[in-house]
Amino acid sequence: MIAGDLTAKCAELERQELTSPTGEASAQEYAQLLAIYLCQSDLCNAKFLWKRIPVALKNSHEELSQIWKVGQCMWKRDYPSAYTCLQVAWSDNVRPIMTTLQEELRSRAINLIGNAYSSITISDLSAIAGISDRDAERISNERGWIIDAETEMVHPVRPPPSSQVITSTEGQLNKLTDYVSFLEN
Amino acid sequence: MVSGLETFVNAVQSLSAQGNFNDLCDVLSKANDVLTKNVQHLDNVLETLDTYQHSLGVLAVLYVKCNNLPAALPQGGGPAEGAHVESKTHEVFIFNQFHNFIEKCDSAQIRLAPETYSDLCHTVTKILIDQKRPHRGIDLIRRAIHKIQKHESQLTGAHADLMQLCLLAKNFKPALEFLDVDICSISEEGSQSEAKYFLLYFYYGAMIYTALKKFDRALYFLEVVITTPAMAVSHIMLEAYKKYILVCLILHGKVLNPPKYTSQVIERFIKPLSGAYHKLSLAYNSNSCEDVQQCLTFYAETFSRDGNSGLTKQVLASLRKKNIQRLTKTFLTLSLSDVASRVQLSSPRDAEKAILNMIEDGEIFASINQKDGMVYFHDDPEKFNTPAALKRLEEEMERCTELDRKILEMDEKFLVNPAFIKKQQCGTTEDDIALAPAMSDGRNPVGDL
Repeated sequence: MIAGDLTAKCAELERQELTSPTGEASAQEYAQLLAIYLCQSDLCNAKFLWKRIPVALKNSHEELSQIWKVGQCMWKRDYPSAYTCLQVAWSDNVRPIMTTLQEELRSRAINLIGNAYSSITISDLSAIAGISDRDAERISNERGWIIDAETEMVHPVRPPPSSQVITSTEGQLNKLTDYVSFLEN
Repeated sequence: MVSGLETFVNAVQSLSAQGNFNDLCDVLSKANDVLTKNVQHLDNVLETLDTYQHSLGVLAVLYVKCNNLPAALPQGGGPAEGAHVESKTHEVFIFNQFHNFIEKCDSAQIRLAPETYSDLCHTVTKILIDQKRPHRGIDLIRRAIHKIQKHESQLTGAHADLMQLCLLAKNFKPALEFLDVDICSISEEGSQSEAKYFLLYFYYGAMIYTALKKFDRALYFLEVVITTPAMAVSHIMLEAYKKYILVCLILHGKVLNPPKYTSQVIERFIKPLSGAYHKLSLAYNSNSCEDVQQCLTFYAETFSRDGNSGLTKQVLASLRKKNIQRLTKTFLTLSLSDVASRVQLSSPRDAEKAILNMIEDGEIFASINQKDGMVYFHDDPEKFNTPAALKRLEEEMERCTELDRKILEMDEKFLVNPAFIKKQQCGTTEDDIALAPAMSDGRNPVGDL
């Protein structure tokens, strides 16, 4: 699922919850919304959603608490446990979102390692990224990170800051005109 | 008895048909007694009136009706227990009559009776809260606000209701839609409780932002509450001041002085009433987590009675972070075990974790070297030479331009305000003149910069 789809789906679910005749959504809708919040790393809203889901629904639908377990691990930033909690046979209802979440978490973890470590043991790398040691080596090679086989250390390279904001020259010119006319008056 | 009602209905119908709404308002203001005496017939009256054509009339009837509803009973388990007669009356009132009214009423008409309209919203909110189902009201009140607002940056009495419902329902997204828009005018409702709902809106708003950890916005909202001109102590202001201290500590690591135009009330009465919070900020200043922890334990009861325990815990966490941040100013490299001992963490592993989390949040710039167990602190890599920085600059400038435009607009409005001109001609002291705009229209121009 792409980010845009998730945002649209998220807005739709929020609207449904508010306008439903009971003011509550179904367990399936709650599950999707909770998973989407996690995907968007919107942990605060996820937490309050969890708090407002009626207890009866939480008791009758185990999947809801399974999703929230992942959320709890994310809240504590315990990446390894989050991957463990993600290893559940998700229902069709949330499977696509949970798969996205897993990929999302992994890429976030790898980026973090690139930013935060100048050297890290392979076992820590694979734990934080939730992958096998072999995959960790592969990913390191892909990113040009040097592996020191003797000490079993990886030396990540900081990714260059990526900033792709493209504005048209015409828009730029319009803005400058606005500034000047503002300052002159 | 019924004849009084008939006169009422006829007056509403004929005046509405003529479009003579000002006279209608006069009639309605006197109709309260007649309507109250005939509470049992009000449903019939509603049937004879058309919600859109006779919005003002319907509003008056609903207003009387809501004030004469049987006392609300907590409803426990939701609609299943709705069989209870009294709950049934509420059910019908809120979800049929009020809902229908909000859906169909004529904005132009209800804007002539904003006070009644707000009061109606307050009562509906109160009933839903008493019944412990605030989530049912969010959508209703949201529509109600849209209906009466002249533009989206106008604050109405019902705003505070929506915030309260959202807080109780633990559903903040619908509130953000309103909170994220800066207020630049206030609907003039002329009621005495207007100030209360103004304060409540900003207080609740701040609570929502704090819950979502948007502390800068929360601090701004709290600042609005504590800088509202006041002659007497308001409980809302007192609580806001306590939260102001906590949020300040979390966000800035120190308590900022409230702006100069803050009312004397804060300094004179509210400060002495929030002793525990000042002790906490003193303990924080010592940079010792132990002191802060001691203070938290000592005043635990006060903090939990004020409902601020969660925030005080975050204050402690923020001090830990601040202590790590301070290390980056002194050292270029440091071993993880040194970090642990300097900020009182139990092991180098914990220190590594703490630093990792801060790097993730962009709170420090460092790289951890597991091989040597060292951490290297870097400078902020932001050189303000990227397109992103330019974009931010442009956005900020746009907001400044917008604010300037609004201030000019208000300025012009005051210049032609009769009360202001009169004051100026009387040659009163400068202070009085400065106060005049604040009294004649709204509050300080609210712009978050």
